[in-house]
Amino acid sequence: MAAFTDILSSVYTELLDFLLFSLGLWMVFGKLKWKQRWMAWVPGLRIAALGRSVQLTREGILCGIMEVVSFVVGYFSKGEITDRFTLFLSLAMLVLLVLLVVYRLRIYVRLLRVFGMKKRWILVWIFFDWLVLMIIGFGKKFQPVELPEPEDWEAGTAPAEISGAENVHFRPAAESGLSVDLFERTAKDFGKTHYLLKDISLDIPKGSLVLLLGGSGAGKTTLVNAIIGYEKAKARMTLNGADIYKDYAHMKYKIGFVPQKNLMRGNDTVLQTVDDAAELRLPSAVSTAERKSRVQEVMDLLGLSAGASGLVCKKSGGQLRRISIAMELVSDPELFVLDEPDSGLDGVIAREIFSKLRAIADEGRIVIVITHTPDRVIDLFDKVIVLARDSGRVGRLAFYGSPQEARDFFGKETMEDVVMSVNSKEQGGEGLAEHYIERYAALAAATEGGAAT
Amino acid sequence: MTEQIRHKGRLAQTGIYLGKFLRMFVYQNDWKLLPMGAVIAAIVVFVVGGTLFQYQEGTKLGVFALVCACIWNGFFNSIQVVCREREIIKHEHRSGLHMSSYVFAQMIYQLLLCLAQTVITLIICSIAGVRIPSLGVVTPWGLLDVGISILLITYTADMMALMVSSIVRTTTTAMTTMPFLLIFQLVFSGGFFTLSGFANKIKYLTISHWGMDGLCSIGRYNEQPMVAVWNMIVGFKDLDVFGYTPLKDALIYVEEQGWRDYFLEWCGQHNQVPQYAATVENVLSNWGVLLLMTVVFALAAVIALEFVDRDKR
Repeated sequence: MAAFTDILSSVYTELLDFLLFSLGLWMVFGKLKWKQRWMAWVPGLRIAALGRSVQLTREGILCGIMEVVSFVVGYFSKGEITDRFTLFLSLAMLVLLVLLVVYRLRIYVRLLRVFGMKKRWILVWIFFDWLVLMIIGFGKKFQPVELPEPEDWEAGTAPAEISGAENVHFRPAAESGLSVDLFERTAKDFGKTHYLLKDISLDIPKGSLVLLLGGSGAGKTTLVNAIIGYEKAKARMTLNGADIYKDYAHMKYKIGFVPQKNLMRGNDTVLQTVDDAAELRLPSAVSTAERKSRVQEVMDLLGLSAGASGLVCKKSGGQLRRISIAMELVSDPELFVLDEPDSGLDGVIAREIFSKLRAIADEGRIVIVITHTPDRVIDLFDKVIVLARDSGRVGRLAFYGSPQEARDFFGKETMEDVVMSVNSKEQGGEGLAEHYIERYAALAAATEGGAAT
Repeated sequence: MTEQIRHKGRLAQTGIYLGKFLRMFVYQNDWKLLPMGAVIAAIVVFVVGGTLFQYQEGTKLGVFALVCACIWNGFFNSIQVVCREREIIKHEHRSGLHMSSYVFAQMIYQLLLCLAQTVITLIICSIAGVRIPSLGVVTPWGLLDVGISILLITYTADMMALMVSSIVRTTTTAMTTMPFLLIFQLVFSGGFFTLSGFANKIKYLTISHWGMDGLCSIGRYNEQPMVAVWNMIVGFKDLDVFGYTPLKDALIYVEEQGWRDYFLEWCGQHNQVPQYAATVENVLSNWGVLLLMTVVFALAAVIALEFVDRDKR
């Protein structure tokens, strides 16, 4: 009889805890204007929903999964260690519980922040989570303040409706140069589709040096990766008439990509580094003599011949950037993309590098450059692409044309001001992204060939 | 369709990377691994080398220590080599690098490194006066058999570490993983800790188990005397039984009759381990398993690296 009373008491305690927690959460969801409030009553699902409501979806879902798994494991092991299997299960459970506590703490701390509460509340939370939820849920004093900026990966779940933006696509691909016709670039995360880029269409003629501008998170690197076929989008990308996506295995050799970081081994000589890159990238039919000649040509062009036998790790920042460029340029690519080639370099060195890029473009190649300090070298560029994030945090095309046309279009004197005009107010900008996206889309649609210029 | 242009194949790419690794051996201080390995081998050999290949107990202890040193050297050779340049590999993969070529080049380079370490270890053994059996089991030379075993143990450990280095993304994770791998090898070798049930099956997955078996076979463990029983009796020699010390008297008698060595050999014959039998089949099967492990680890490394593009930027 005593045992039965104990079990009954334990069940009552569990049930009461569940009811109080769920009720508190139900009220919290109400304050957060969470549509599926019923989730507060479903174990596993409710913590996932709570995480999502405070923009910690990943933590929430992992917590939910771990809750379910720990329940199942606990049920089967019956909380006792009887053999090696249950010992193994218990150890796994221990690791799981530690993770669960860490993720839960993250969610609770974020929730406290959302409601403008002090962090010390977390101490109460550790012991009486239901109590804190009831206080937040029922306390009139606690109302959600503005939610913090979501994580980047949470961006773009709902692209903004921009009239005419989709009209930019209806044009044939150019036979010469680079033709970009991107419908959308999405990424899946925990089953949810996130839009990273949408409706970007433009043609870049051969021999162009193109500046790719945009604020932080506008999708510059994502666009570049989509163009070169490394991260494919729902798009049609052609280079001199050849489809980059359909024939990527061969087209990748016609594309050179210089990443933001200097990705090379420091403990090798400059000459060998460039020569190895040439051997890897050049066709097998190229003879050793031809390869050596090409390496020398590129080294001369980029001013690397003087210290060719020195170790890479001994070189300065500017020299390292030039080695990075040489490693890609040596394969004679038709399309050359550089992600911040002037990062960390002073104006003189940066100008020198961009002058080299101008010379490379003048050889008939297409060179696309991402840089955050464009104005010191803007005179060298033929075209400017401006990307902007719409209100749904999806990267879109806000402008494509010559630097002077960009100045006229945005009514700004400098490219940095252009970026500021499309940046959100939270980023210190003017928050006019959607205005320019719409205006440019109308202009592009009205112009034959899609792109406005 | 674009014109189909052929680029460097897997073999040619292997050559490019092997050249690069060999150059970097000089420039990147990888040569420091050799004296470091030598120091570790020296410490081990000077401590346990005196009785190695002399008595069963000394052989088992010495072989265990030697195997541990080899595994340690192998792990250290490659535990960081891939993960420290993961971003570079990712970029090169984008430019047409075949991961199998990269791993194969690493395999050749690491083999040369392990070979050098093996030679150094053997030289140290020789300096320390380790009496390696002159007659080999597989080859006519015992030194060569021991050398091949040491090389294979070091190389298999090296490949295991290469696999780990290909799976993890940072050097910190790799270095955190290494002690666990080493402890696993020591505990589950089956040489010193008594294993039973499931744990006894796990030992077949360890490099240390197969390495110990191979070296004990080559060292002719089963033909060696056993001193443990004699030493135990000596420990009890002063045991008083009604005013007499029968054990002491017996020991003196055995010594006087010159039967001590016969006794030790007799003990050894009764302590033989089937898998330590000095047969060609035994040694070759041990080497074969180690080689198989090497291939499996290398394949796993290639497969892991094929997913390098999925790394978040």
